[in-house]
Amino acid sequence: MNEKDQYKNRIELLQGTLDMLILQTLQWGPQHGYGIVQALRLQSGDVLQVETGSLYPALHRLERQSWVQSEWKQSESKQKARYYRITAKGKKQLATDLGRWERIVEAIGSVMYVKPGESES
Amino acid sequence: MKWFSSFGFQRRNRELQEEIDAHLQMAIADRVARGETAEAARQAAVREFGNIPLVQDVTRQMWGGGWFEQIGRDVRYALRQLRKSPGFTITATAMLAVAICANSTVFSWIDGTMLRPIPGARDTDDLVSLQRGERNFSPTPPFSYLDYRDLREQNHTFTGILAYHHDWITLTGGALPERAYIANVSANYFDVLGIKPVLGRFFLPEEESRPVPNVVLGYSLWKTRYAADPAIVGKSIEIARHPVTVIGVAPEGVVGAMPGIREDLWVTLDPLGTDVWRMTHRSGGAVWLNVIGRLRPGVSRGQAAQDLDTVMHNIVAAFPDDHLGDNRITLDPMWRSPFGANGYMAATLPILLAFAAVVLLLTSANVATLTLVRFVSRRRELAIRQSLGANRIQLVRQMVLEGVVLSIVAGAVALVLTSWTSKTFAWFFPANSNPLILNGSMDHKVVIGIAVSSLLAGMLCGALPAWRSAHAPAIEVLKAESASISGGSRNRKLLSGLVVAQIALSLPLLVCSGLFLRTLRNLAGANPGFEQDHILTASVGLNIAGYSHDEEQVIRHKILDRVSALPGVKVASLTDWIPMTLGHKGDDAYPEGYVPHPHESLQVYHAEVAPRYFESLHIPILEGREFTPDDDEKAPRVLIVDQTAARRYWPGQDPLGKKLRIWGGLFTVVGVARNSTHIFVNESPEPIVYMSFFQVGYETIVQVKTEGNPVDLAPAVENAIHEIDTRLPVFDVRPMRESTQMASSFAVVQSALAGMFALIGLVLAVTGIYGVVAYRTQMRTHEIGVRMALGASRVDVLRLVLLQGLWLTGIGMALGLAFALGLTRFIARLLYGIGANDPVTVVSVVMLLGAMSLLACYFPAHRAMRRNPVTAIREL
Repeated sequence: MNEKDQYKNRIELLQGTLDMLILQTLQWGPQHGYGIVQALRLQSGDVLQVETGSLYPALHRLERQSWVQSEWKQSESKQKARYYRITAKGKKQLATDLGRWERIVEAIGSVMYVKPGESES
Repeated sequence: MKWFSSFGFQRRNRELQEEIDAHLQMAIADRVARGETAEAARQAAVREFGNIPLVQDVTRQMWGGGWFEQIGRDVRYALRQLRKSPGFTITATAMLAVAICANSTVFSWIDGTMLRPIPGARDTDDLVSLQRGERNFSPTPPFSYLDYRDLREQNHTFTGILAYHHDWITLTGGALPERAYIANVSANYFDVLGIKPVLGRFFLPEEESRPVPNVVLGYSLWKTRYAADPAIVGKSIEIARHPVTVIGVAPEGVVGAMPGIREDLWVTLDPLGTDVWRMTHRSGGAVWLNVIGRLRPGVSRGQAAQDLDTVMHNIVAAFPDDHLGDNRITLDPMWRSPFGANGYMAATLPILLAFAAVVLLLTSANVATLTLVRFVSRRRELAIRQSLGANRIQLVRQMVLEGVVLSIVAGAVALVLTSWTSKTFAWFFPANSNPLILNGSMDHKVVIGIAVSSLLAGMLCGALPAWRSAHAPAIEVLKAESASISGGSRNRKLLSGLVVAQIALSLPLLVCSGLFLRTLRNLAGANPGFEQDHILTASVGLNIAGYSHDEEQVIRHKILDRVSALPGVKVASLTDWIPMTLGHKGDDAYPEGYVPHPHESLQVYHAEVAPRYFESLHIPILEGREFTPDDDEKAPRVLIVDQTAARRYWPGQDPLGKKLRIWGGLFTVVGVARNSTHIFVNESPEPIVYMSFFQVGYETIVQVKTEGNPVDLAPAVENAIHEIDTRLPVFDVRPMRESTQMASSFAVVQSALAGMFALIGLVLAVTGIYGVVAYRTQMRTHEIGVRMALGASRVDVLRLVLLQGLWLTGIGMALGLAFALGLTRFIARLLYGIGANDPVTVVSVVMLLGAMSLLACYFPAHRAMRRNPVTAIREL
């Protein structure tokens, strides 16, 4: 895949979804910034490419909102890194975000997949 | 607390750096594991990560934190941006520093003169200067002692009213006689000013009008002549060979109540009992006091003037013969007091400050242009920041901060510069016989002024462009290619507006400085009505050295004889006044048979001159005769009047033989002299009467017409006088031309400063239009290439670019002309021999500015014309 295709396949994240994705990723355990990028990419099948320029500001903002906590730890490869862990408050937020997300998907879906006959009635 | 949080900021910053490093290390490790080389992996990881400082910056903004931290972050960001473009930073700082310094310099002069009218005095805002009769630009002392005393005792609106008479005197008793400036003062003088002695005491009320030979020394005289003797109080010193007792020493910096003029010591009104006549009369030579009052709290100047008018009205009713003419009382705040130097300052300096403010505006517009161009080229970065969550207010704040940082640095530079330039004011005043102490001062007011003007300038040159740039929708900017980010129509309009403003502001500056320069030339070229080349003058401190009257007369004759006999001397004479040195003597004169108009001032200028005075100055006697050696004290009193006096008092009649009453004595007119300049070349002619020196002369000034350079004769003249008596003090020996420069010194100040400001304005306007046209032409390179490829000729391209620039110039000049025509009305009073809207000046300025702008537009046009269309099209 050359760079141009990569660019085409990428989907710009909807405003506000990054927070939810980060929190979701952290559900499976503490993770550092690089790990979050990798996890999101793998799980989305290379479609979601999170810009570091968005990720770190988002992480630091989440920490300030006490949705995540961070601590410095050694990684498996002996690399010292800052690990983020979701807090109880963060879990509550994730549930809210998820609920809202499902409503959006449902709403958009019902508009997009409406049957031709129904719309003309 | 703030210190701690800033400490925490350092730690978090370090951690963020480590976090990003860790991210990169892991990315590199992954890539190496996938088989990439270490170097390629590193490069790829860094590229993938993106703009590290930008990411750090945006992340830091998420930390929130205190106001202090945010500002600290913004300042750091601004400094980084400014460091990135040193050319812009240095140019903008230098321009702003010069413009701020122009303002602070003029302001320091105002501060040192108008705002500090009486050094050492308390609350000078409450002090007012009293004037009686017709308002005059350089009035003589307006009150007699008795009138002053009545005003002081009968008013209801002043906490105190003081009186003083400024004079000079010789300090004798030392090895050499020394000239000192002295004031006869009312007993409450220091009290009203609010000054306390550092040693001893000041005068007591009962000492005021009685002959008590007490003296108060000025601080610097005490230090220099009396070696700061701590036991000076009670000691006897000699003034003009009379023993007087020191009763006190004034604090450091106190130089008396006449703004801009120094007094070295103070005595009461009649310390030796020799002035009984002036203490007991109300007119003629008894009108000798300047008066200053301190208003009661809450009393306005208008109320006080009304109050004094009532008192004065009663005085006039009681002594009508002593108060012919106009007796209305007017009050001036000290900053524009007509007595002393502030009258001249108030006419000149505020106008120069206004010019300086225009220069600052112009500079801000210029720097704003540069800033805007810079922001346009930084739009991508700004758009990225915006899409990463920075809101517009944050962006604007950061950009404004860049301007503020610039202007703070510029303000600091200006502060350093001003500490030197404030002291240059004294350069404008040539050596002369007035004890001028005019200079700028550098105090907290000037520092505040610098701070305010630099902040305003910073806001102006940061805020305008920032607001415009931050308006750009982020998405569009990010998607657009460079050619179309060249600046939307909004930015183009703002750029054009700034260029137009610069031209519109520089044009009036140029017009005014042109008018001032031509005024200066007219003044220098004007004929003052007398011949001042080859004239040497020397003051002899005869009347103040303590000789008896008869001795004085003998010495004066001896001086005249000896100096006349010197080789190289053509004509020698004596006078007690030198024209065009800002000073003059005036007294009420009552011409026989003349009925004054109501409220007409009867004051005339007068000078006492010896025989051959008119001959040495080439002032023709039109009728009658000059004074002769026979016009001495035994002969009847005689007068020579000038044409103005003759026409005013005896219109259509022969003035010869007419009589004038001055100081209670009758003088007969024996001659009419042609009009000549008294104080300023551009004055309106005032009547003057010349009296015979050997009849009523007071101060002695030797006036010599020389064959060669007058300076060469100075030692010989001084020697000749000292041969008569070595103790004779001789001062101010200098060519007349040097003394009369005083009359044009304010014109020199005006034209020097206005000229400098206009030059700065011209340079800024021209570089401004050059910068904008060059920038816009460069942005249109692609378009121009297309036009040429489609068949536009080089001349078409040239015209395209030139027209664009000239269109802006045209609008700017039209606005500037309107501005200039409005502004020149304010300087009309300061002009001489030229109208405020002098067409020649206006047309030459318009042509100069037009030509310079054309040149400024030509270079970018020429460059565009020479471009190869093929490369031009390729360039994006």
